[in-house]
Amino acid sequence: MASIEILILILVASSIASYFLTKLNSFAGSILTIFSTMFVFVSLAYYGFNDTLITTVNILPGFTFEFTYLGAYFAIIVAFVYSMVSFFHPYFVDHYKYKNAYNMLFLLSLAGVLGAFFTDSFLQLFFFFELIVWTTMFLIPLGKSKSAAVSYFGFSAAGSLSMLFGIFVMFTNVGSFNIADGLASLSGTKAVLVFISFLIAGFAKLGVFPLHIWLPIAHGNAPHPFSPVLSGALVKLGAFVAVLALLKVSPASAMITAISMPFAHYIIAILGAVSIVFGTLMAIREDDAKKLLAYSSMSHGGYIIVAFSLLDSVALAGGFYHILAHALASAGAFMAIAAVARQTGTTKMSELGGIIHKMPITYIVYLVAIISMAGIPPMGGFISKWLIFQAVIDKGLIFIAIAVFFGSIGSFLYVFRPLAALFLGQELPQFKKTVKEAPILMLIPMVIITLLNMYTGILPNGILGFINKINVELGFFPLVINNPALTISGNNGTLFPALIAGVFGFGVVVAFIIFILLKKSRQVSLMDTYTAANFIHSEELLHYSVDFYAPLERLYEKYTTKMTDFYDALANKVKELGKLAKYLFMSKYVEVAVFWIVAILAFLLWGEL
Amino acid sequence: MLLNILVGFAIAFFGFVLQTSVAGVNRKIIARLQKRYGPKWYQEFLDIFKLLSKRATSHGWIFDFGVIMALGGIIATAMFMPLTNNIVAFAGYDNFFIFVYLIAVGMLGMAMSASGSGNPYASIGVMRALTTMLAYEVPFMIIVLTIINTTGFSSLTEIGLFQQASGNTWFLIALPLGGIVGILSLMGMLGKKPFETYIAPAEIASGPMVEYGGKQLGMLFIMHEITVFIEVSLFVHLFLGGAENIFIFLAKYFAVYTFVNLISNVNGRLKIDQVVKFYYKWPLIMAITQAIIAIYFGWVVSI
Repeated sequence: MASIEILILILVASSIASYFLTKLNSFAGSILTIFSTMFVFVSLAYYGFNDTLITTVNILPGFTFEFTYLGAYFAIIVAFVYSMVSFFHPYFVDHYKYKNAYNMLFLLSLAGVLGAFFTDSFLQLFFFFELIVWTTMFLIPLGKSKSAAVSYFGFSAAGSLSMLFGIFVMFTNVGSFNIADGLASLSGTKAVLVFISFLIAGFAKLGVFPLHIWLPIAHGNAPHPFSPVLSGALVKLGAFVAVLALLKVSPASAMITAISMPFAHYIIAILGAVSIVFGTLMAIREDDAKKLLAYSSMSHGGYIIVAFSLLDSVALAGGFYHILAHALASAGAFMAIAAVARQTGTTKMSELGGIIHKMPITYIVYLVAIISMAGIPPMGGFISKWLIFQAVIDKGLIFIAIAVFFGSIGSFLYVFRPLAALFLGQELPQFKKTVKEAPILMLIPMVIITLLNMYTGILPNGILGFINKINVELGFFPLVINNPALTISGNNGTLFPALIAGVFGFGVVVAFIIFILLKKSRQVSLMDTYTAANFIHSEELLHYSVDFYAPLERLYEKYTTKMTDFYDALANKVKELGKLAKYLFMSKYVEVAVFWIVAILAFLLWGEL
Repeated sequence: MLLNILVGFAIAFFGFVLQTSVAGVNRKIIARLQKRYGPKWYQEFLDIFKLLSKRATSHGWIFDFGVIMALGGIIATAMFMPLTNNIVAFAGYDNFFIFVYLIAVGMLGMAMSASGSGNPYASIGVMRALTTMLAYEVPFMIIVLTIINTTGFSSLTEIGLFQQASGNTWFLIALPLGGIVGILSLMGMLGKKPFETYIAPAEIASGPMVEYGGKQLGMLFIMHEITVFIEVSLFVHLFLGGAENIFIFLAKYFAVYTFVNLISNVNGRLKIDQVVKFYYKWPLIMAITQAIIAIYFGWVVSI
């Protein structure tokens, strides 16, 4: 039996223990991290799937917990990503300045995640949110750049404060911080206020347009093993808040009859769609592999928002499944990139090439992850995208559909870039001798994630069964799944994922037989290629990876800085306002201060005297 | 289940034979158009068998693995393809999205293998192929959205039956703008001129194919033929009302492929950015207009 309280306490205790243990011996401290996250994940998954998680509180004063399928689903995914990533710690923590703090903060942030997903009170939700924000804020600057943390903190704090505002609005309504009561009590203007403030929080956390600026900065500069956590796990907090706002709050808004959707939700869906397109276009032209994946997270965040804003059972199930599929795919891809970064020291695609010959397993991990990310069967991403497409088509949302399809095809483009630039192509001479396959302890989680990516694509019905419970809990219809036959029914068709995978396997076997029966080929070196009669003597000259999609990028590169320009302009305006305030209130002359004191007093006492 | 798989494999094999023959006949037709005699109609078979029997060079395991994955993925996709209303391997599971996305596995395999050869021409070809895909796929998907929304089915056989049931009102006629978009997208899919940018033999030495020879090239030829079969059949089922029997299917198939080929042969080649600009201009506008007319106003031509 496991109680949420005990799990959180275990995490807090082990985070303190790992602080001191890592100080003595970083390897031992990291092993402790692995064991405690694994323990938490296993107990959450086991008791969570069996509905036997205990929520009573005995030790922590003032805290209350509640088991919901929604929270459990998110918590299990996040704890899984944490536990997998912790396997990377023994190889990475030594590189960081405050290695003991790294392990401690990592575990503390997981404690915050558990608390946030299982709480039944808004004030605790806010507390755990802040716990996550503050712990991760100190984790991110251990990577490449300190200013990345500022950007992350700025957006997260804006989101949290916006959520706090929404919480207070509800508090004035019901007089308690209970989540269910608070959300149920809303109507009229207050519903609109809470809807907007919660969505700002959700968008800021999820990194959806227009609050996405921090995403590439934080993901790209975070420590290598922390990027998978950020992208695979922590941004999902935003999805959680967005679910609360989109499904439980119904702001008064006109119904658009042609697509049977409330106007407010349609606007949110449009923002999600913009996010998909924007993320895709930015990812296509990014040179840093981690930033590329960060933009892809933004695009997938858009899918999640679109799925939840459609208010459709099939789309809802698709959105929940997409959260899992994207967490697995993104964690797998980021971990593969982290492994490459550890072995080569860079994540820039223009500096790498031909790593596949030294790191074949990492390559397979990355390949499977991107197949899932691009939504190609037989991986998990296909199932979720298929479900989302079903709802988009059924409702006839043409403009959302453009974005959804564009993002789906565009993802082929951007996920292929690291594949070609990092792993394929010419084997660059500087990596020929030095690079080896990642150590076995790092390969274990990557292989587990790869297998799960396939499992979610071939046999999704078990997980969809759990998602159905969430659907029912949220007041929607469950998805029609046929369990002995392993099929899923959408709005306009039936999918049989196991059959697709089986037929694909059959096709590959046939192709392999054809291949093996024919004459054996002669192995030649990579430099022995057709060059149109040019004599090319070095590998770099034969490796095409810089500006890969140059002709496409040229079509939109003028517009890529629009959003950063906007935020720069906003920052300037804020600075100017600050200067004005400083000039008015903080001058060095005493008489100005006295004047303001008198003026304010006069204002406050107006009519009183 | 075993029988179904065998039927599916037979369909894939039939598709290969059909498309290779049709391509051979088309070479003849094009030759006559250009006042040449042209090769024999079975020349394509000879080419493929010759390639398969030759000893080739390989650039490492990913080069070979990619070819296997490409051919395997395409065979798998073709196995889901219905030929007529009754000849379908996995009835009820011939979902449109399987064709669009499972075909991508094959494409990915080929792209991987080409990039693995280490030749920059191959990478340029892959880049162009993916960019072209981004261009033609979106207008096409919008039209398919319209079709699925109108019929309520995403299964190809059901869409075909729907058109037959409504008195052979093909979607090519019922959605006229959509039909034009469908043809344009089909030309992009098939890599026909003016959208031939990613093969461009004179410019980038056949693009992705540049490093191949022998059995790998032979297998990619087979893959290419089956891919064309899938794409043309997709068009036949979506826009031309499917097929009641195999002869109708053959007639429609031959007509579509020859028509596209004829257009192709009187055109030059666009640059890659022109391809993207083209598809995001007229076809997309037409597709959106068609979708709005059909979905929101419900104006679908019917006789």
